[in-house]
Amino acid sequence: MTWRNDSRSNNDAGRDDAAGRNGFSHRAERLLVRVLLSLRREARHSSDRALDAQRAEDLADVILSDFPRRVIPFGIAALALITLVCSMPLLRDAMVGVSDGSAAVVPVANVVESSLRNHGAAMSDGIETIRAVVSPFAGESAAESANDEVEKVVPPSVAAAPFKKS
Amino acid sequence: MLDPQTERKTIQRARRGDREAIAELIRAYQRPLEAFLFRLCGKSDLAEDISQEAFVRVIRSLDRFDERFRFSTWLFTIGKRLLVNHQQKMRPTADSDFIEYRASDARTPATETIEIERTQQVSKMVEIAIESLVSPQREIVLLFHQQGWSVQQISTELSMPEGTVKSHLFRARRRMLDAIERTGVRNPEDVLR
Repeated sequence: MTWRNDSRSNNDAGRDDAAGRNGFSHRAERLLVRVLLSLRREARHSSDRALDAQRAEDLADVILSDFPRRVIPFGIAALALITLVCSMPLLRDAMVGVSDGSAAVVPVANVVESSLRNHGAAMSDGIETIRAVVSPFAGESAAESANDEVEKVVPPSVAAAPFKKS
Repeated sequence: MLDPQTERKTIQRARRGDREAIAELIRAYQRPLEAFLFRLCGKSDLAEDISQEAFVRVIRSLDRFDERFRFSTWLFTIGKRLLVNHQQKMRPTADSDFIEYRASDARTPATETIEIERTQQVSKMVEIAIESLVSPQREIVLLFHQQGWSVQQISTELSMPEGTVKSHLFRARRRMLDAIERTGVRNPEDVLR
């Protein structure tokens, strides 16, 4: 199809009413050009730019106000992950209990008992160590205490004399 | 329409949650998208709703946007898909609000009745011409004549050879001419003025 210049006068259009190229009249072709130009204008901004701008601002607000709702699922997912990680030891114990076929508290009791035993052993080792350190001094202190007791037996008048009696 | 460089920068800002950048993208493409969707479905309210939904989806998914392509191409594709999905759910009704839409688009003061009538006549012609087209001719005509896309862009977007796009354009123009010819406009001079 050949596109013609639409700048012709309206009088010319009247002359071509009957027929044109390809069986279409010039009037129809010019109408089509007008239609296509009108179509093109639709995609451009309207005369009311303020209204367009306001609508754009409103929509931007709607989109941004929706942001927290977008974040919530991620927050929930993160919280669930943390909960899962924190509950892993309990889950493991529970799984062990289930696999043993006995009560779930048994492994926990075993852990506590063995911990207490170890703690007790360490305590007794400590006490033994202290005794070993203290024992060399234990004899002297006993002798000193015995001397004290002897001195106490000596009469004060004798004990007060610094020199032997001649 | 934004030039590619400005568009890229605006998208990068919008990705960071810059409200002004988001508003800028909407300002640039809202009206072209609405016009495109309106001509596809014939309902201004629906076109507006679908357009808004398309913007919400596109801006939410900006992280996934491939910058090798044009934002408008992506936006229009999503808009069209949303419209098709909607139309599959609901049968389209009569486009009785067509005149209302066009009247709201009048570039002249409301007091100039003659001019408004002329505008409405042209609008009616546009409606008749577009209504005469079938898919994908309608979409190709709208993208080419309304949105100003190149044949190459349309070819990429619709995944069809450029020759096929040109062929559809040619046939579409003939169909529109035929439809206009059949209307037998009473006062063609009013329309052509």
